[in-house]
Amino acid sequence: MYPMFRATLIVSCLLALAGCRKEAGSTTKPAAGSALKINGSTTVNLVAAEAAEILRAEKGMNIQIDTQGGSAGGISAIGDGLVQIGMISKHLTDDDKKKHPKTNFKTIQIGEDAVALIVSKDVWDGGVKSLTKQQAKDIYQGKVTNWKQVGGPDQRIAFFNKEPGRGTWEVFAHWVYGSPKKAPSVSFPEVGGNEETRNKVASTKGALSQLSSSWADQKTVFALSLIGDDGSTVEATEASIASGKYPMSRPLSLITNGEPTGDAKVFVDFVLSERGQALLPKHGYLKMSQLKH
Amino acid sequence: MSNVLFQNDTRQPRRFGWGLTRAMSLSLTAFAAVVLVGMLVLFAMESAPVLKHEGVNYVVGKTWFFRSETFGVLPMIYGTAVVAGIALLLAAPIGIGAAVFTAEIVPPRVRMPVKLAIELLAGIPSVVYGLLGILLLRNYVYDGLRAAGFDPLSGDTLLTAGLLLAVMILPTIMTLSDDALRSVPSMSRHAARGLGLTHGQAILAVSLPQARKGLIAAILLAFGRALGEAIAVFLVVGRQDNQLPGSLFSLEPLISSGQTLTSKLGGAEVNIAYGDPLHWAAVVGLGLLLLIAVTVVTLVAAWLQREAAHA
Repeated sequence: MYPMFRATLIVSCLLALAGCRKEAGSTTKPAAGSALKINGSTTVNLVAAEAAEILRAEKGMNIQIDTQGGSAGGISAIGDGLVQIGMISKHLTDDDKKKHPKTNFKTIQIGEDAVALIVSKDVWDGGVKSLTKQQAKDIYQGKVTNWKQVGGPDQRIAFFNKEPGRGTWEVFAHWVYGSPKKAPSVSFPEVGGNEETRNKVASTKGALSQLSSSWADQKTVFALSLIGDDGSTVEATEASIASGKYPMSRPLSLITNGEPTGDAKVFVDFVLSERGQALLPKHGYLKMSQLKH
Repeated sequence: MSNVLFQNDTRQPRRFGWGLTRAMSLSLTAFAAVVLVGMLVLFAMESAPVLKHEGVNYVVGKTWFFRSETFGVLPMIYGTAVVAGIALLLAAPIGIGAAVFTAEIVPPRVRMPVKLAIELLAGIPSVVYGLLGILLLRNYVYDGLRAAGFDPLSGDTLLTAGLLLAVMILPTIMTLSDDALRSVPSMSRHAARGLGLTHGQAILAVSLPQARKGLIAAILLAFGRALGEAIAVFLVVGRQDNQLPGSLFSLEPLISSGQTLTSKLGGAEVNIAYGDPLHWAAVVGLGLLLLIAVTVVTLVAAWLQREAAHA
């Protein structure tokens, strides 16, 4: 009996040690307590918050979810080890990786969304239904300041620019200028999250802004069609986004530092599961299986 | 000085308790002072790169374009000053007026409910003020300005932020002014009435002048709060960089959006700045400027209050 007892003891000690090692070596270090912390894009948050709600109810998981600073906030929170999962609604760039050289970014795409140029009701009713890339550029650079100049009512354009660092803004800058880095420096009133953007555009005459297309309800704010360089008009519809025809689309992703482990893995797996994926269409996004490009 | 009070007091426990309180408040005050100085030093060190890069231009520069590494803070200092100025201009007369009402006019029975109601305003979280600002105030300002013949682009203006702040600093001004007025000895009032002054004349000729320093201190402390308030301002100021009007006395700020030191610090740019030493230094520099401004204002206010107490 005695040797066997000793063997069990040694094995269990080794196991415990291995467990500890795994804990300590885990790259997604828990910041405080055992809560799973998530931060980032308000766009992804719609899905993630609902997934978190389900996991809290069904598995009793302790999940804290926040949207400080949008996508950029999610990236820096992962880079600083403040959270285990970041939410981003843009492509992770080399610049992002360069800023956090010690972080081993792992991107898990969970769906896709499009950015729409949205206008207030008076502009839509005034006849502005689409903008060309050149018109968007001229408005952004302050060369066009009245809706009259693009076939609309005689009303000043109140352009609310998404604050720098927001995924929405980067997708817009990517379409118009080819890269966010090439976008000129401009000064416009800035807006942050999607809710704020929609409220401000809806309640201001002559308003224009960039907004996640799923938030454009066509009742208070209206999504414009885009006219590309080749002259073809593309509406911000599910079909055109899925086919990759709509130029301002973007991946929605979760990011982790290294492979997700523990609670983070449970969360990621749930979002990628059939039930998790069903949350995306619910918020107007495309799930992975719908993407054809 | 306080020891004189207890010189002939032989009750040991009480003396011991007094000493303990003194020691604790002294050490906590010292701790607070060390923390403040430590913060100033840390912020100064962190913002050193931008001061090296921009020099004095950091404070007087008119443009802030982080992508081209241009960091001029003047429009933000201007925005902060205008927003806090509007707030004070509106809140000071109302706050002091309310304090005259509670301290000099109404009977004690009415005084407490009125005071409590105004002090309750101080307990409302600033983000709630901000949301109310978005829901109501910015629309009122937009409609109001249009009715007055202005043509604002939106309801997010320096005026909107100033109006919102005025409500938020009202309790500070009112409560401290009330204290200042009540510390004027009743003897002075009785003497004034004895000389034949009416109640109103006594307030104007005796109470207000005697409480003058305390009233100014109240305004200054409210000013400090207005300088540092972030969230409510952030939500309604419009956050537009590089907004300076043509002249110092232009009405433009009333109808245009702007940026304050705090609204910049509350924005997403802080997340981008992190990791870029120069940009980060520029952002921390905003914090340093804010800290210096609030410290100076608070110290002047505290000094005035001390003077008032000794008078």
